Amino acid sequence: MFRYESLEDCPLDEDEDAFQGLGEEDEEIDQFNDDTFGSGAVDDDWQEAHERLAELEEKPPAAVKEQTGNGERDEMDLLGDHEENLAERLSKMVIENELEDPAIMRAVQTRPVLEPQPGSLNSSIWDGSEVLRRIRGPLLAQEMPTVSVLEYALPQRPPQGPEDDRDLSERALPRRSTSPVIGSPPVRAVPIGTPPKQMAVPSFNQQVLCPKPVHVRPPMPPRYPAPYGERMSPNQLCSVPVRRSGTCQSAKSKILFLQLQPGRMSPSQFARVPGFVGSPLAAMNPKLLQGRVGQMLPPAPGFRAFFSAPPPATPPPPQQHPPGPGPHLQNVRSQTPVFRPDTTHLHPQHRRLLHQRQQQNRNQHRTLNGAGDRGSHRSSHQDHIRKDPYANLMLQREKDWVSKIQMMQLQSTDPYLDDFYYQNYFEKLEKLSAAEEVHGDGPRKERTKLITPQVARLEHTYKPVQFEGSLGKLTVSSVNNPRKMIDAVVTSRSEDDETKEKQVRDKRRKTLFIIEKVKFTFYYLLRCRSLQGAHERSVFIWQHVGGERGFLPSDDHFVQIMCIRKGKRMVARVLPFLSTEQAADILMTTARNLPFLIKKDAQDEVLPCLLSPCSLLLYHLPPVTVASLLQQLMNLPQSAAAPAPSNPHLSAVLQNKFGLSLLLLVLSRGEDLQSSDAASESTQSNPWTEVMFVATRELLRIPQTGLAKPISIPTNLVSLFSRYVDRQKLNLLETKLQLVQGIR
Amino acid sequence: MLFYSFFKSLVGKDVVVELKNDLSICGTLHSVDQYLNIKLTDISVTDPEKYPHMLSVKNCFIRGSVVRYVHWPADEVDTQLLQDAARKEALQQKQ
Repeated sequence: MFRYESLEDCPLDEDEDAFQGLGEEDEEIDQFNDDTFGSGAVDDDWQEAHERLAELEEKPPAAVKEQTGNGERDEMDLLGDHEENLAERLSKMVIENELEDPAIMRAVQTRPVLEPQPGSLNSSIWDGSEVLRRIRGPLLAQEMPTVSVLEYALPQRPPQGPEDDRDLSERALPRRSTSPVIGSPPVRAVPIGTPPKQMAVPSFNQQVLCPKPVHVRPPMPPRYPAPYGERMSPNQLCSVPVRRSGTCQSAKSKILFLQLQPGRMSPSQFARVPGFVGSPLAAMNPKLLQGRVGQMLPPAPGFRAFFSAPPPATPPPPQQHPPGPGPHLQNVRSQTPVFRPDTTHLHPQHRRLLHQRQQQNRNQHRTLNGAGDRGSHRSSHQDHIRKDPYANLMLQREKDWVSKIQMMQLQSTDPYLDDFYYQNYFEKLEKLSAAEEVHGDGPRKERTKLITPQVARLEHTYKPVQFEGSLGKLTVSSVNNPRKMIDAVVTSRSEDDETKEKQVRDKRRKTLFIIEKVKFTFYYLLRCRSLQGAHERSVFIWQHVGGERGFLPSDDHFVQIMCIRKGKRMVARVLPFLSTEQAADILMTTARNLPFLIKKDAQDEVLPCLLSPCSLLLYHLPPVTVASLLQQLMNLPQSAAAPAPSNPHLSAVLQNKFGLSLLLLVLSRGEDLQSSDAASESTQSNPWTEVMFVATRELLRIPQTGLAKPISIPTNLVSLFSRYVDRQKLNLLETKLQLVQGIR
Repeated sequence: MLFYSFFKSLVGKDVVVELKNDLSICGTLHSVDQYLNIKLTDISVTDPEKYPHMLSVKNCFIRGSVVRYVHWPADEVDTQLLQDAARKEALQQKQ
């Protein structure tokens, strides 16, 4: 398509409409051209525009911003703030997280101080940055050199004057974080040792003279920007108050340092500055301060006792080291002691001890250090610091972020549990001091208690992220809330349940074990089948059943076997193959437990199968064994002299077929033996004879009721009994036992 | 949290910290954190000054993981209380 560069190029003979249409198009083209290349194109640096906008938004605090005159720094910072704003907006949209913890917020330095206070001094490098920053502000106009390299990366304190009541958690995001803290639950706990927010206000009114130290903590989360550059050395710091010796606002600031705690540490905490907290406290401050000043200086005599450690043993020789800030400060402010501007929360007593200690140290330092060579050291130190290329690698925001993480980890729901030692130690100290002070003129220092807030631990349930105006829920997982993948439910069991379960488990294990054993037995049986010869088989089985072990120590095993029908059959079959001793053992055991076995056998009635093997066995037994067997069988008392009143064993035996038959067999056998031996020894007392005597007596005593019918009646019983009893009794026995065949 | 709590009570006392590289540093315990990192002020190297590079150092931060021992004066600590605290901790661990 051809284009007309301008109206003049159009041919004259075209339509008016076309003309106009073309003309309009041309106009647009021209406009575009102009805008891009021509006069309409405004050479606007978007960066500068952005800056201007940003500047409009932010109201610069004190003199801090202007003094640095480092454009790069500003820009960088503005960018950071821009990111921050974006993050804030994002987090506002997101259903929120809350870090309302005053202690955490205190750990984060993203708010400027409302009233910059000069002249605040600290005693060590650990207390540096915030203090330095604060002091720097108003002094910059005077003599502070523009430390350009140092300030290069310092983030600005974004102007928060009108916005103090906004939630601070949204600000405290690290610069480089790509995801705001999304979906995290509101955290309301406070770290250990943080005093309550609004607790001490009523108590404060009472005690102006002796206020409770420390836990009169301002309810506002304080924001303390550092007026100095962060790498300012204490010596630089000290050069400041030297010039401004008159500041007695310093008293105020110093006292407020008290509110911070030297004990707790975190990366940026040592850069913390004490207590300018916010307007609500301003009214209280004067009272507090006055009370404090009075209290601070004279240490209570009772506390001396707790100073067990002597002051540091080797103070550095004054020539070698740059002198500490202590002596300088002492020179400047003659009487007021310097406190560590830290924000950890110490027990009041602890703090007292610490301050006393510091005082001592300073007194020592003062006496030891010379006055002359401070200046030179200071300046060299300053130069050294100025040229440090690695300073300020981390932005304040980042430091805050890290320190906030640490503080959050320290939140505790039960300080007495988590912080047990500390709490109790100082309670004890207090009790001791109270006890000591009783003797004195009444306690001047009130019992100060460390009140740590206890916050209930909230249940953090995962709520998926929701953005405004969007449908559905996003699955966003950040480091703060990893996505919940599995609904794993933890069930914890009580003690009783556990023991019960254990029992069940044990029982199951035992049954499994028994089943295993049975399985093995079957396995052996199978093997046994493969064996040749009944004898071997039986022996094999018997061995595996445990016959080798012998029965005397524990009859139970054998008895259990005998309770089973198969067991009895098996025993009957095995009996011929066993050795005489073993078989005798078996027989003895059987006899001993016969009533029980009879009872068990009531249903099966398998016992008589044992009879034939027993009879076979009997023929092999020596007389002694037979005698003892008889004894066992009849459950005869050991000594012939004392008969038992009743013999249920015997009656049970007699009432059973097998029992009676066995008895008769035994008797018969005994008689045989006796008669065979009679030739050799006629009337010698042997065990058999004795037993027989007792036996016959027993038999006579037994009532006749319910006697079983024996399987076989040996023929020699009459002669047996005739030996031991007289005629009458013999007749009795005969009738009783139906020995004579004719009667039946 | 046991030893953190314990060291908090020692803040301000003089301690000697022996590190795993055999360096012993004597100083005043300024602060401690939950990782048992230690900040000392007014330090001096105990034992023979065979570490002359420490002469100019007044304050130091010691990472908790490099500490081998911390020596403190015996009367600063209540051993009974420490034992109780340890028992409580053990009980908590169990649960």
